[in-house]
Amino acid sequence: MTLRVKGARHVLRIRWIPRYTLLERGMHWLHTATFVPLAITGFILYTPWLQSLAQGNSGQLVRLWHRIFAVGFGVVPIAYVIFQPRRAIMSFKEFMIGADDIEWAKNAIPYYLLGKHGAMPPQGRFNTGEKMNGLIMILAWVAFAISGLLMWFHNVLNLSAGLFQWMVLLHDVTFIVSVCMFFIHFFLAVIHPLMWQGLVSMRFGYTSAAYAAEHHGKWYYGEKKAKEMYEAARKEEHQAD
Amino acid sequence: MVTKKAMLVDLTKCTGCRGCQVACKQWNDLPAEQTVCWGCYDNPPDLSTTTWNRIAFYEWEEDGQPKWMFRPVRCFHCADAPCVASCPTGALFKDARGFTAFDESLCNGCGYCTQACPYNIPRLTDQDAFEGKANLTGKAKSSKCTFCQDRVYNDLIPACAKACAPGAIMYGDREEMITLGNARVAELKANGTPEANLYGENLLGGLGMMYVLPKSADWLTELDKEKNKGNAPMPSAPPYKLVNFWQKILQPVGSIAFGATLLGSAMAYLITRRTIQMEEVE
Repeated sequence: MTLRVKGARHVLRIRWIPRYTLLERGMHWLHTATFVPLAITGFILYTPWLQSLAQGNSGQLVRLWHRIFAVGFGVVPIAYVIFQPRRAIMSFKEFMIGADDIEWAKNAIPYYLLGKHGAMPPQGRFNTGEKMNGLIMILAWVAFAISGLLMWFHNVLNLSAGLFQWMVLLHDVTFIVSVCMFFIHFFLAVIHPLMWQGLVSMRFGYTSAAYAAEHHGKWYYGEKKAKEMYEAARKEEHQAD
Repeated sequence: MVTKKAMLVDLTKCTGCRGCQVACKQWNDLPAEQTVCWGCYDNPPDLSTTTWNRIAFYEWEEDGQPKWMFRPVRCFHCADAPCVASCPTGALFKDARGFTAFDESLCNGCGYCTQACPYNIPRLTDQDAFEGKANLTGKAKSSKCTFCQDRVYNDLIPACAKACAPGAIMYGDREEMITLGNARVAELKANGTPEANLYGENLLGGLGMMYVLPKSADWLTELDKEKNKGNAPMPSAPPYKLVNFWQKILQPVGSIAFGATLLGSAMAYLITRRTIQMEEVE
């Protein structure tokens, strides 16, 4: 893509490379569109501050909508895995945390907050933060599905009271962890001033080559070359010190 | 300061006439249920949303003699009520007089109380048009014995206590009931019922309905299970402390976690913005 800013002499050239498929983006946004209403209706039932909304007929309506959105929340990832199984397995493998990620996490605060532009360990298609979000959301989906279904159908399945209570506990803990993760993910992807390209690629499916080279080296250059470049950059930094 | 009220039910005096069962339905305007003979004196066979009080029948053999006991099964109005601890709406709450009150208009039918009660007392009404559809939509209401809160607040005694012909159900200040109960237990022990005991004096913070039992509570619960009824547990050490964990620990922990994350994000945003502005200045 070539951009010419009005009245300027410069020509801006951006090479866009595909990062997410249509289905991946569809799943991401449908997951969001069901997760957020579920979190809101769940929060109403969970917190004592909003007790008046959880009472009586209003509460019954909140519970009904919670169940309606829960169906969508449950079905969306299953549909994605059915339609793009190989892509799903690939993404899942990419979510696995490695040694580079621990290194990245150590450097993330100086890099993203304090503006230290040192070399960062090369990242794959997902960076460590995105991986953590991905993993936690997958685990949360499993925990929500198991605990939610058992709570929903405990009468039909004739479950013991003890099991029901453990499921309430699991549902609540998963809720706390996943909503905290959601806040962090939302902040980094939408609000953080340096990370706007993540949102662009999740919306349109493409990311600029320059951004990919800098932030997703392992994916852009390949593992071997990215590592060599990273080590060379580190050496340079040490010499400069 | 209101004094704590309680009921004392002397099961060595109960004749199983079911007068209290009928009085409960009459006062609380609960319709009768159509039941079938199922080979036991218990009728109806279980508590339901329209039966808040039911007489359970226990029979056993001792020295070749048949023995029996009747027990009104209804809410025990415990002080540390697990149903209150698990109710997210405040529909179930503790009253200063000691009973576990229930406001149906606040109930949203979540059914947590039905899973929290160690005595298996609260029941859910299916409020959806087709029977069983509430399993899908969740549209339901809980219900249980209210200790006749409308009567008690108007200086009347609960309907069941009023109706009890043999005087097995006594009602009054809790301290007085405990004294009466202990005296009766001592009397029974001295007269050939060595296992007599007062049930519920300190259980779950002290029950609002206590029993004078001729046998141990666990033994009677086992007997109930053996007869394949199993719907009227009377544990001597009620389990399910897990419900307390929810409101007392998990809710504050969750609020703190959400607050900390949001605050952290806001701080991170401000620091990053400052960093970028500094770079622009440079």
